[in-house]
Order: sequence, then C-alpha cells, then structure tokens
Amino acid sequence: MVTTLAMPEPVAPPAAPRPVSVAPAAPVNPAARAVIEIDDVDFCYGASKALHDITLNIQERQVTAFIGPSGCGKSTLLRCLNRMNDLIDGAKVTAGQIRIDGVNIYDPRVDVIELRKRVGMVFQKSNPFPKSIYDNITYGLRIQGQKNKARLDEVVERSLRGAALWDEVKDRLHESALGMSGGQQQRLCIARAIAVEPEIILMDEPCSALDPIATAKVEELIHGLKKQFTIVIVTHNMQQAARCSDRTAFFYLGKLIEYADTRTIFMNPANPQTEAYVSGRFG
Amino acid sequence: MKRFFDAELENFRSHLLQMGERAMDQTRLAMKALMDADIALADKVIAADDELDRLEVQIDDEAIRYMTLRGPVASELRLIVVGMKASHDLERVGDEATGIARRSRKLAIEPRLELYADLPRMSKIALEMLRDALDCFVQEDEQKALSVIRRDPEVDNLNRLLYRRLTSYMIEKPDTIARALELMFISKSIERIADHATNIAEEMVFLSKGLDIRHSDIGKQDVLPTIGSNPPV
Amino acid sequence: MSAPTTTAAAIFNRSTPAKRVEQGAFWLLRLATYFVLLSAATIFIDIGWKGGRVVFQKQAPFINVPFLTEAPETLSVFEFDGKKMALGDRAFRQFSAAHEEKMKHVAVETYAYSAGGIFPNIVGTVLLVFGSITIALVLGVLSAVYLSEYATDGPFIRFLRLSIVNLAGVPSIVFGLFGAGLFVLTFKFGMSLLSGWLTLAFMVLPIIITASEEALKAVPKGYREGSLALGATKFQAITTNVLPYALPGILTSSVLAIARVAGETAPIMFTAAFVMRDELPWQGLSKWTDFFFQGVMALPYHIYNVASKIPQNEYTRDVQYGTVFVFLFTVAAIAMTAVILRQRLRKKYKW
Repeated sequence: MVTTLAMPEPVAPPAAPRPVSVAPAAPVNPAARAVIEIDDVDFCYGASKALHDITLNIQERQVTAFIGPSGCGKSTLLRCLNRMNDLIDGAKVTAGQIRIDGVNIYDPRVDVIELRKRVGMVFQKSNPFPKSIYDNITYGLRIQGQKNKARLDEVVERSLRGAALWDEVKDRLHESALGMSGGQQQRLCIARAIAVEPEIILMDEPCSALDPIATAKVEELIHGLKKQFTIVIVTHNMQQAARCSDRTAFFYLGKLIEYADTRTIFMNPANPQTEAYVSGRFG
Repeated sequence: MKRFFDAELENFRSHLLQMGERAMDQTRLAMKALMDADIALADKVIAADDELDRLEVQIDDEAIRYMTLRGPVASELRLIVVGMKASHDLERVGDEATGIARRSRKLAIEPRLELYADLPRMSKIALEMLRDALDCFVQEDEQKALSVIRRDPEVDNLNRLLYRRLTSYMIEKPDTIARALELMFISKSIERIADHATNIAEEMVFLSKGLDIRHSDIGKQDVLPTIGSNPPV
Repeated sequence: MSAPTTTAAAIFNRSTPAKRVEQGAFWLLRLATYFVLLSAATIFIDIGWKGGRVVFQKQAPFINVPFLTEAPETLSVFEFDGKKMALGDRAFRQFSAAHEEKMKHVAVETYAYSAGGIFPNIVGTVLLVFGSITIALVLGVLSAVYLSEYATDGPFIRFLRLSIVNLAGVPSIVFGLFGAGLFVLTFKFGMSLLSGWLTLAFMVLPIIITASEEALKAVPKGYREGSLALGATKFQAITTNVLPYALPGILTSSVLAIARVAGETAPIMFTAAFVMRDELPWQGLSKWTDFFFQGVMALPYHIYNVASKIPQNEYTRDVQYGTVFVFLFTVAAIAMTAVILRQRLRKKYKW
C-alpha cells in the first residue's frame, strides 16, 4: 500500500516505469462482486428521516468500514442489512432497495429469519448468553433444530478455531461464557455468528469496549475472516477502519459523503468533509 | 474546528519554507562568489551549510514527532511525508551550493577561464525552478509544479552543451584541464540543483493531488488524471 | 495559591449549617429505622414467645405434636372431684361415658376450637397458596410476556397497564365478593378450592404481572438481539434467552404474592374456607375431580374465627397464638422455597 509513498527510489532500471497509484489499491479479491447493493435508500424512524438517498455497493469478501460522527446513520444502515431495524416501532425503509445477492431483502416474500441466518451480526456490547461456551456456539444451530451431538461438536471446534479462540477455551467449553475476558467474549460472539455459516457478517463497533490488545486480536480475526466472509464494520475508531478495511464509507447527517477504497479515504479524500473528519478537525 | 496542535503543523510548514529560502540563498551566493571570485563570500557559503543541515534534522524530528503523536491522515499525512522528502532535497541543494563555493574558492586564485557564459543562465533557471517548486508548497498549484518539471530538460541541455565545450577546450589547452574540470563539476552541481527542484515539484504534486508522478510520463502531460475525485458512489 | 498554613486550616473540621443539617438528618433517618425495627421486633417476640409456648414443649418430643396433627376440637372445662379438667371433644365424650352418673351434675363450660390442633388448616392454606400461585404465575407471566415483548405501545395497551395497576389497589374483600359472585354462584363451583384459587390468583395477578414485566425489561436487550441475529424467531428468543433470565425476578414477585395470598382472609371466606370440616381434602373423594370442588379450612380464617370468640379466655388465647405462630412459620417456609428456587436460577443464569 505504501509503495508510492515512502519507499526509496527503486534501483531497478528506470526503463520499466512503475505503475502509478492512479488505479485504486489492488483489491484483495480481484474477482470481487457486489454482494450487497444499496440503491437510493431512505430510512425513517417515524417522522424523522435517518438516511437520505444512500447508494453503495459492498464487495464480496472484503471488509467495508462505515465511519462518521455519532448519529450519522452508519449503525442504522448496518441494521438495515439484516433488518434488525424491524424491531423498532415505526422504523422503516421508505424508499429504495437493499439487495443481497440480487434479492431485495425488503420484499414481503423474504423470510427475515432466513435472511438473518445469512447475514450474521456482532454487537457493540459483547452479548454472550449466560450459558456455557458450548451452548453459546451451538445456539444458532439448535434453534434450527440441529440435535446431532457429533455435528454440534464439530461446529463448536470449527467456529472457535475460526475465531482464534479454540486454544484458549477448549478445556472449559462447558463453563459459563461470562467467565471469559471482554475480548474473549467478543470473539465468542463472532464465533457464534460464524457457527451458522452466514455469508455476510455485520459488526457494530465490535471493539468499542475492548482494550487495545483485545482490539488487536479482533482486528486480526477480521482480517482472517474476510477470506471466507463479507464483512461490514461500523467503527468510531478511524485507525481501526484504516487498519482493517478494504473500503470505507463516510457518513454525515444521514448522507453518504464519500465511499472509496480505504487508502484513498485516508490518503487523499475527495470531499473536504471527509478530510476534516478523518483528520479529526470535524465540527 | 481548530486543534491545539495545529500550530505544530504551521511551524513545520514555515521551517520547511525557511529551509527553502536558505537553500536558494546559498545557491545564489555560491554563484556570486564564483562569478566575482570572492573568496570571503565562498567561505561564508561553506560555513552557512551547517544551518541547513541543522534545519533538515529539525524538520525530520518534527515530522517524526507529529506522526508519532498526532496520527496525521489525508493532507496532513501528505504534508509530513512530502516535508521530510523535500527537506532532504533542500539539504542536497545546500550541499551542491557548498560544492560550488569550494570550487569557486579554488578558481578564484587562478587565472579566470572565460567559459562561464552559460553558468549564470543555468543557475538562474535552476533557482527559478526551485523558487516555483517552493511556491507550490504555499499555493498548492500543481500546474506551476508541472511547469517546473518541464523546465528541467533545458538545464540538462545547457549542462551537456557546456560539457562538450569544456571537453574540446581541454583538448586544445591541456594546461586548463584542472580549472575546466572544476567548471564541469560546477555545471553538474547546478544541474543537480535543478533535479532537486524537479523532485520537490513532483512531491508538491503528491501533496496537493495525492498523485505520485515520479518515474512516469504523467508529469509531461498537461492535465493530471483525477485521482482525488472519487465519485461518492 | 493560598499560603500553606491557610490550606492546612481549611482541611480541619468546622461546623457549618450544611453539616449540622447533615447530622440532624442522619439521626432522623436512624430513629425512623429503629422505630420500625422496634415495632416489628415487638410483634415477632410477642408471637414467638406466646405462640412458641403452645407449639413447643419442655419434654420430648419437644414439639406439641397433637397441635400440628389433629383437627380443631371444642374444649370442655369442668370441675370433677375437686379437680379442674380441660378435655377436647373425643376425650370429653369418653370421659362422660365412663362417668355418666357423676357428670350429670357437673357444670361444663365449652370453648369452640380451643382443643385439638390445626392440621386441616395448615393443609388448606398450603393447598390454597400453591394452587393460586401456580395459576397466577402462569397467567401473569404469559400476560407479562405479551405486554412487554409483543404488544406495541398504544392507547389500548396503556389503558390495560393502568387497569392492571389499579387492580392492585382493590380491597381484598371486593375480590372475595367478586369471586363469590362469579365462581361460587355463576359458575357454580361452590365453596371450593377452585373458587378460592381463582379468586386469590386474580387478587395477586397485578403484583405478578407488574413485577414480571419489570423482570423481563431488566434482561439486557443484547440477549434478544443476539438471538434474533442468529436467526431465532421472536418466540424462540423469548423462551430460550429472555424468560429464563427473568425467572429469578419473577420469583421475587411471587414471594410477595405468596405472603399476600397466604395471609388474606376476606377473599377466601366467601369462596373456599370452611369454619369447620371433618374430612381432610384427600378423604372421602368419590372421583378425583371432587378434589377441586371441596372447601377447605385455612389458617387465616381460623385465626379470624378464634380471635372473634368473645369473651376471650386463656384456653382460646393459646390456640390463637399457636395458630399465628404456625401460620407465620408456614408462610415463611413456602416463601423460602421460592427464594431457594430463585437462588438456584440466579446461579445458573448469572448475568
């Protein structure tokens, strides 16, 4: 990423000019396609409009970060993607479409339960259920009716390994999840989400309550998970967005101000508001 | 919104400009010492190089401090990075000026070779390039920066021309070889100063547009590609 | 910056108006608390001392077993051969039969319920409490789940909540008459356990619904959201990840409800409680459904009956204190089971 920035002059023969950074930084997955297409979406909480005309596409197997000041609509948009906003009275998408794999998820024929199995979510405050670690991981499969012990065991191991937690907890799977450290709890929540094998994982400020070491572990995890999942992360920590996302969307007052690859947002944003926000001189 | 450390960035910027002014002064004075065979002036130029070295260290220190403590991004990050590189270029300009001063000191005590004709012109162009490149730093005018880059071949040509003339001169009059060689090195120094000005101009394009145009043909185009204007979608 | 000496002086205690008010308020609060403690202690020591003498005794087996295992009897007191005799019904009949001649000239004073024990009353109260609490918990928890999890807030729901809260303020005698009118007469349940259960259940529903709603609300939103985000239906989320954690809180409410249900006399005197009944609830049932349609004796009503005997006398007073003592103990025991259950659940679902 930084080759055009601070590398010493190449000693290679100048006959072969290096590619210039005009093209966006090489995407992680060159064959990426838009898994989530958000088209002209307006969203209202009752009479107050929270999102204005949002249009953006989220690429498969990339990490997309939503940044912006509090109340800018980034969490609202995130919760639109698995229809968690349905739980709030009077909250609804009033215009536009959100398509996942080409299907409008607000189509009345869409089963929201099925949608949420495919679009997992990790919350700001880690919320392991007050059950054992094992029961936490298997919760999603059990409510789907999976009873096969061998299968459940396998999923527990695979999910915990996936969340880089297996070695830390394999000897206390049947102890309460609440005995874990904060960072472990959040990774358990991630493991619980990946246990139902979603396609997309939404993360709503997953590290806001964690210390730097736990945060680093979660970020490491996010980086590893994008090989398999499409990840959308809302964060207040701009360095976090810079560290672990491929693309970044900046929201302000319910509007999408700028959406580009993360390097551009942090190196050379087009919009002065984005520039002001990322350099911390907003307001 | 003002931030309590905005002043640090302003200091950084003004130190860089101060260094640019000094580097240009050094070059101008070195050339004057050469043309006027002024040994005292040449000594002054040589002595003043320490100040440039000190400024380079100081600017680097400020840049590292800012990066460590203030976490710059976007234009601030570009400014810091460009500042570090430009200060290095300016320090090199100072070194070249010192070189010119040393050689003019040697030439001053010998009979003058009347081959200086193109040197003032070369140094004038090089100084203008340096001036314009530093102006870009204040104005963030990438067109001006591009014009600096486009003037570099002119200095190169003048250098080559002088080189050829001095070569034939040395063949004709072998007793002038030592002096002619000094002039050759001085010419090379001026050419190097123009190169540093070009580097700085390229860095200024990066500063204002986030576009790295080194070792590419982009600098030769009239219109820069628009990398900064990401459509919001 | 003030000089060091000034600073040092400022840190030492000085009397200020705020501090004097603070002292005064502190003593007021302390006195109020001590007064409450004193009143409670007086009541409990009085009952414990006087009732304890009835229930416990100095010789083995140290507990007055007949008082706890026999039915109430009428006490007959008379003077026989210069000896003062105090006998219960059966003993008196045997005695009379044995001394038929002499007894004809003996003046016998009788005191109702002053002999025997209070076993049927204990049984009746336990049955009434368990039955009504079960009904109230089932109905109350279901309504609370509906109100707090499903119902969308609107004028109707607000009206419903207000009605429930107001129901808590209705005097228990009104519930008693309501139960008598609805269950005893209209539904023709008669004076029966079922009528009593339902009446008592309705009386404590407001407590249970309100407390259960609070308990459900206290469960962090994250558990609901976490379940839903994993593809659970709302019902799955509630049953697996909300209700279990709310149970301790719900049980706390049921402890209050138990005390209320066990203690009330008015609702049961028209719906379920007999002054005197010879059979125990499991005796003489022709079919099992008869169990629900029989009246029972109950401790609070018995206390009411023995306490309203005028004139008061030493024989009845013993039964009064003994009954109250056993009654308090019974309520405490039932409430304790709820507390233990809650403790267990808390340990299981700690959050």
